[in-house]
Amino acid sequence: MTLRRVFKHGSLAAVVATGVWLLWPAHSQLASAPASGSPAGQAGQAYVLKFSPGQSYYPDSHPFGLGKALSGLATVVRAFEARFPDTKVEIISTPGVREYLVTQLAGGQAPDIINVNVEDVWTDVHKGWYVPLDGFLEAPNPFVVEKGDPNLPGAKQWWDMFRYQAISRGKAAPDGKNYCLTFDMVETGIYYNKDILAELHLTVPKTWDELLVTLGKIRASGRTPLVMHMGAYHDWLMDLMFDQLYFDLLPGIDLVQDPSREPYLQGYLDWDELAFLHTKGFFNRDDPRYVQIWQRMRELRNYTNQDLVSTDTMREFITQRAAMIWHTTAFSYRLSGDKDLGFRWGVFYLPPFTKKTSPHASGRPMCVIGGAATQFEVTNRAVSDTDPSLAMPERIRRSQRLKRVIALLQFMCLPEQNAKIVNEYPAFVPNIVGVDALPVLRPFEKILDRRYTTTKWVFTFDLRFSEIQQRMLGLYLTDGIDLAGFLDWQERNLTAACANLRRRKALDLGRLERAWQAKASARAGMIDLPPRVRKESVP
Amino acid sequence: MRLQGRSTLTCYGIILPTMVMLLTFVYLPVVWAFSKSFYAFEIGGASRFVGLGNYSEYLLEDPTFFPSLANMLLLTLFAVVVRLTVPLIVAKLIHSLPRERWRYVYRLVFLVPIVVPGVAVQLIWAGLIYSDSGLVNEFLRWLDLSHWTHGWLSDPRTALVCVAMVGFPFVGAFEVLIYYAGLSAIPQSVHEAAAIEGATGMRKFLQVDVPLVLSQLKLIAILTVIGSVQGFQSLIILTRGGPGFKTTVPGLWMYYNAFSFQRMGYACSIGVLLFLLILTLTILNLKYFKSSETVQGI
Repeated sequence: MTLRRVFKHGSLAAVVATGVWLLWPAHSQLASAPASGSPAGQAGQAYVLKFSPGQSYYPDSHPFGLGKALSGLATVVRAFEARFPDTKVEIISTPGVREYLVTQLAGGQAPDIINVNVEDVWTDVHKGWYVPLDGFLEAPNPFVVEKGDPNLPGAKQWWDMFRYQAISRGKAAPDGKNYCLTFDMVETGIYYNKDILAELHLTVPKTWDELLVTLGKIRASGRTPLVMHMGAYHDWLMDLMFDQLYFDLLPGIDLVQDPSREPYLQGYLDWDELAFLHTKGFFNRDDPRYVQIWQRMRELRNYTNQDLVSTDTMREFITQRAAMIWHTTAFSYRLSGDKDLGFRWGVFYLPPFTKKTSPHASGRPMCVIGGAATQFEVTNRAVSDTDPSLAMPERIRRSQRLKRVIALLQFMCLPEQNAKIVNEYPAFVPNIVGVDALPVLRPFEKILDRRYTTTKWVFTFDLRFSEIQQRMLGLYLTDGIDLAGFLDWQERNLTAACANLRRRKALDLGRLERAWQAKASARAGMIDLPPRVRKESVP
Repeated sequence: MRLQGRSTLTCYGIILPTMVMLLTFVYLPVVWAFSKSFYAFEIGGASRFVGLGNYSEYLLEDPTFFPSLANMLLLTLFAVVVRLTVPLIVAKLIHSLPRERWRYVYRLVFLVPIVVPGVAVQLIWAGLIYSDSGLVNEFLRWLDLSHWTHGWLSDPRTALVCVAMVGFPFVGAFEVLIYYAGLSAIPQSVHEAAAIEGATGMRKFLQVDVPLVLSQLKLIAILTVIGSVQGFQSLIILTRGGPGFKTTVPGLWMYYNAFSFQRMGYACSIGVLLFLLILTLTILNLKYFKSSETVQGI
């Protein structure tokens, strides 16, 4: 009997003890809890910063499985730690999915520095998840100041260290603040197999129509002319074609000139402008330019890989089954680092539309759609040593942890440190003055000197809009739906996205209406405007 | 009396941690989801009461509702049919083997794949079988039928069928074991009586074995319906619901709304509707699907 009782009570105690043990916070959680005020690492380390740099510079990784393991970022971080012995920087890898990030940010547990497209950040800036960097960027970089030369870029403003000012400053959110540090640049281009083109007596096309003819000849030779993934249609091509067809309308439809961004992004259409223009009858089946975007896209589809989802586009190009591939700067490393490639290659940028392509073609060169590659954002974790009930500006002012986080970014922007990271292998074009691009990336430098895109459709509206657009565009391009059916979806999608935008952002439509009226004369001579706009123009 | 009371208390004490965790991590989120389905809110943002607004938007305005519901019903129907037939046939074949040693070997052979995670299986199908250079297309090229090759999962005409075919030949180890247990539980006297009556082969299988494993069929049917209505793991790996919405199901759309679009209240309303659907289907199943005990008049 006694033994049974001992067993019973012993079992109960064991169950309770196990439950308590399982639910007890880990030591590290206790150490970094916001209530403690000063996160501690090892003895003497007051700050343990978590840094998620993304995959491109992750230490010990082998991009494309080539070359030596990366060590540039780790070297720079160790140098930073040597300067600040009370700080430890943990370089961590986080899933590149928004689902993960959102939950981490909501709990204040995201890494101090993350690398995501800042347009995704804009959706959430009103929630206090991110730290605006303007105050720091407008102040001197202390690591430059200590060099003693007041003429060095960064001695007056950290901003001055960035080479591509337009793109870097253009990353400011629509609330006017900048949440993003544009660390380096990416651009896309058409990589082509010189040997195949020579064999077929073809040259690099100078216009869009020539491009289609060239692709047709390659197809006739039994090869896939051009391989590209679905995102290239949905994101890159959409913006390029929109810019080609709408550029001439900008004097009459670019309604808001943001003083902080306009010097860098001339004519850029923000989400409020797009939403307003939609109410005026733009971007639907009655807008001939809008319809032409999808028609031209479908034409190109005849020359690209059948399967837009699962085709291994790189393999198709490397094995010479495809003559061209539309890819980013990073692909240069894959090609230049392959000693057994077996063919010569080159890069060209997409050629412009002509009046033959579309009567609405502006005839201007294709714009830049790439821009910022590695985009560092500072999260609310960086101010976790302050009272969360305080306003963000006050938290920024008080936080000691944030100062150390910013110092790390400033340190990484020093040319001698930046080159160790960005130029460790040719993937991205450096964005720091004094750091030259690696030779293989120089063709992309010229592309980046072009005018920036008129808008970024994928990042302008909510994620639901982008998801539906990508899905239905994919269906349209694979003949699962006709143009009328696709436009029907797209109209409903855009209408819902605009409504959501108005609800969330409280757009000042009155201001836009006044700007619209003021530009009536600029629109007077424009052809093929949507019917509603034409009716308005009639006195 | 006092001892009995203490013993009872001890028992309650033992199950208390489980109950606390069950309440915290299962029932509380369910109640929370019900209540939040009446609100419009996003993670980290403000919450606004919208009544039945989320429900009406999903049922009346969301363009994905009907296509995704149709996809879900088709996939569920297909899953129920194959899981009620193929594993049962396999279990019967194993059970009919004359020697226990071979029965054991086959049971083991069918059981081993159960340790492979579902995600790995889906990735194998997506990467090795359906991809552009996968098994199916390469086999067609080998047969000189290159014109038949295409993106199986990206072609709107084939995507849903291909998703349904993942897991071919559908011999799920779990189902085989359940059916095998049911077949083993049939008394020898029943087999002998059937033999005297002249029931052999297919006739015996359909008229004797199947009615006596109805309880197992019912269980598998319920579990399959629940799994198919709730599940979207394979879809998110294989197609992400595309092309277009050709392979989207309500569960997947719920996931996107919750974690990609941050429309948590809206996602909760989809979840509640799925719960009600599963509840209805389960009640119908329990009510109209006879069990072997009913058939035997037990």
